[in-house]
Amino acid sequence: MTRRSLEIGLAAGAVTFLITAPWLIPALTDNFWVSVITEILIWSLFAASVNLLFGYVGLLSFGQALYFGFGMYGVALGIDHLGLSFWPAFGLGIISAMAMALVSGIFAVRLSWHYFAIITVVFSLIFYFLAVSMKPLTGGDDGINFSLPPVFRLGGRVWSLTDPTFQYFFVLAVVSLCLFLMHRVINSPLGKGFLAIRDNDLRASLIGLNVYVLRLIAFVMAGFLAGVSGALFALFGRYASATYMFYQVSGEAVVWTIVGGAGTMFGPVVGTALFIVIREIVSSHWEHHSLIVGLLAILAVIFAPKGIVGVWNGWMTRLGERDAAASARPQLKLQADHE
Amino acid sequence: MSEPVLRTQNLTKRFGGLTAVDDLSISLAGGRVHAIIGPNGAGKTTFFNLVTGLLSPASGRIFFRGRDITGCRPHVISRLGIKRTLQVKSVFPELSVADNLWITRQARNRFLHPFRPAASDLQAKLQVEQTLEQIGLADLAARPAGTLSYGDVAMLEIGMAVISEPSLLLLDEPTCGMSPAETSRAVAKIRDLTRTIDIVIIEHDMDVVFGIADDITVLAQGAILASGSPAAIADDERVREAYLGRPEDEDFMEEASHA
Amino acid sequence: MRDTVLLLAMNGLIWGLIIALIALGLSVIFGLLDIINIAHGDFFMVGTVLAWFSLSATGNFWIGFIVAPLIGFILGAIIQRLVIQPIHGAAALSIVATFGLSLILQETVRITFGATPRRMLAPIHGTIPLFGVDYEIYRLFAAGVALVALAGFFLFLQHTKLGIWMRAVRHDRETAVAMGIPAQRVYVLTFGVGFALAAFGGAVAAPITTVDFRGGVDVLPFCFMAVIIGGLGNLPGTVAAAVLLAFLEGLIQSVADPTMARISSLVLMSAVLLLRPQGLFKGFAR
Repeated sequence: MTRRSLEIGLAAGAVTFLITAPWLIPALTDNFWVSVITEILIWSLFAASVNLLFGYVGLLSFGQALYFGFGMYGVALGIDHLGLSFWPAFGLGIISAMAMALVSGIFAVRLSWHYFAIITVVFSLIFYFLAVSMKPLTGGDDGINFSLPPVFRLGGRVWSLTDPTFQYFFVLAVVSLCLFLMHRVINSPLGKGFLAIRDNDLRASLIGLNVYVLRLIAFVMAGFLAGVSGALFALFGRYASATYMFYQVSGEAVVWTIVGGAGTMFGPVVGTALFIVIREIVSSHWEHHSLIVGLLAILAVIFAPKGIVGVWNGWMTRLGERDAAASARPQLKLQADHE
Repeated sequence: MSEPVLRTQNLTKRFGGLTAVDDLSISLAGGRVHAIIGPNGAGKTTFFNLVTGLLSPASGRIFFRGRDITGCRPHVISRLGIKRTLQVKSVFPELSVADNLWITRQARNRFLHPFRPAASDLQAKLQVEQTLEQIGLADLAARPAGTLSYGDVAMLEIGMAVISEPSLLLLDEPTCGMSPAETSRAVAKIRDLTRTIDIVIIEHDMDVVFGIADDITVLAQGAILASGSPAAIADDERVREAYLGRPEDEDFMEEASHA
Repeated sequence: MRDTVLLLAMNGLIWGLIIALIALGLSVIFGLLDIINIAHGDFFMVGTVLAWFSLSATGNFWIGFIVAPLIGFILGAIIQRLVIQPIHGAAALSIVATFGLSLILQETVRITFGATPRRMLAPIHGTIPLFGVDYEIYRLFAAGVALVALAGFFLFLQHTKLGIWMRAVRHDRETAVAMGIPAQRVYVLTFGVGFALAAFGGAVAAPITTVDFRGGVDVLPFCFMAVIIGGLGNLPGTVAAAVLLAFLEGLIQSVADPTMARISSLVLMSAVLLLRPQGLFKGFAR
């Protein structure tokens, strides 16, 4: 099996699965797993925001839940208090998350490693407590529920997220689009600039990169990703609560990202999927599934620090080298035949 | 051009109680290769750090081609055309050799495009390939820079300095830790560069210094001990004392200056 | 009104002394091993639980004062050896590791101790009139114990071999190793000391607070605030900051609700991080 065929097969399988899931899954098992996959997609995007900052720019943010929260409350309050319809509310969530990321980033990004990580938590805690104390508005830890306006009306037919299949595809489309954008950025000149800063920020400034500005840009982009996932979350659950702004939420995303593979495109997705599936399966039999999460996290950092996808990439590289060596030999044979 | 490439005026830098650079007024003319030598702790690297903006001076001014660059941030000074290599070899370890060169070249653009694929910039790609040929690392292009041997990393650093088309190149102990073969390769490369770029080099290897330099400045304890042509420096009593102070090394200096 | 203020301030002061012990443990770990220890609040929580178990097992409250730090020390040393050392203390990985540790500790306590918070009776009953209220004697006693423990710890740092080693390695690792100090062993013992301090704080605080598997979550941010505001690596500074912060929060609570008090501490912490990251206090800094 060559590397190429393996990768193509895997990609084809994944795409087929994702596209047919709403029909495939109920045929095999409980319908409820479709909404689990939807949840996984939403949280993967959140993990991707952690991954963008940590895996590609070298900044460990422990407070992405703050921008998730802004996205979430932007939508919830937009619909509930301002009476906005679907797209304006969605937009409000995303824009407010990005704005918050810009404002906090201006200060946070100046700091070095440890202090940056700490201040991201501090900012998110400040707003968590604010959200809790403004209970009439935000519902505090109990949260607020709201009903969902339709997504759009098309030729007389009303499309709304209350239809689980449509909701699934809507989330799949949005998440795929965001990940695609992230992919484009990583491979662009800006993305190479990020990588340089990650590898050696001193050197980066010496060759002329404005480290502060680039980090700030990355921070706002990550705020965008977190904001979109927060907005999707609110739309998915018709619910918003301050608990999702707590540092434990940010921390879980960091664990998912690192176990899945930081610095890879699909690491966060794999990590998120793994932990959420474990949670769903284990918690129906045993309520202490957090124990497994904790154990997995520790085992992962000791034995597979590059993460699942990181290890996989290592195998693929070795496979590719073996293929390259193998394909070199037939050429010699050909030459000998023509002698 | 009468304006010196690099000029400092009463430059001073202190770290706590230690005066690393002491009232240094130095003037380096363009079109000549300058070497800065001196015993450890003489302030040579601190001098480079001040010029490139990594440190800010306690007092004094720095002029680059007549322009006051005192207190400017590192990336600004870099964009003005001053590039340097670091004493401890330092590249971007997880990027490929080619990408190291690529990003160095792109860094001086004010705007880095966020969506277009990096590979689509053909002119940049060409320059990277040319530079790879020049420094002899073409077959290592795809390897992560962190996996390179020490000598190759040093060559990569020089390549990165070259591709950024510097106006003034500061080399901080470029041959430090190199084998004799790697050293001659590096020296040949540096000699090529001196034809088009103004270079200031910090070195401990006397063979290299006397082989390349047009002018030598000797620093000791943050101040100029002596400066002049290689021959003058080799003969200077004070230099020998500060640097060496031992008979067998005196002979070495003699030999080297006649090399 | 004035009495309430004084009362809350007194509570804050006492709580601050106890928290100072815990924060000191964090400062030692953060300062020496460079690890952001997310599980540190849970170390405190484990201390309260150990105190509870030793009381219900032996009927003697004071045994907890020995059991908690002892077991804490052993656990800390084991954790450092098994978890931290294999990853060479790599920064991001150790954050994930301590996060995992936090989950494990919380769940283990939930399994063994249960999910319901419980109160522990103070070993010293009785109150004395203070600020117009009958103030529990145990609180004053706890503050005294904390003070003695703090003093003892600083003496330990100055005068014992391990203490001197810890300071040497923190100050300059390479020179310390060159002088023959076994740095790896110092790291193991340091983590143990950090856990022990937090656990001891837990044992002392147990009758004043609730014994609850979630008990560490609130303590953690506070410890970090003390460490940052006090100055990284500045142990006396951490103590001063802990006391000051708790005292201030106590004061603010008399005019606003606890959440606002917490928010203002956090804002202060942000200001310190942004403007003066080396902390507000000068001291025996690195």
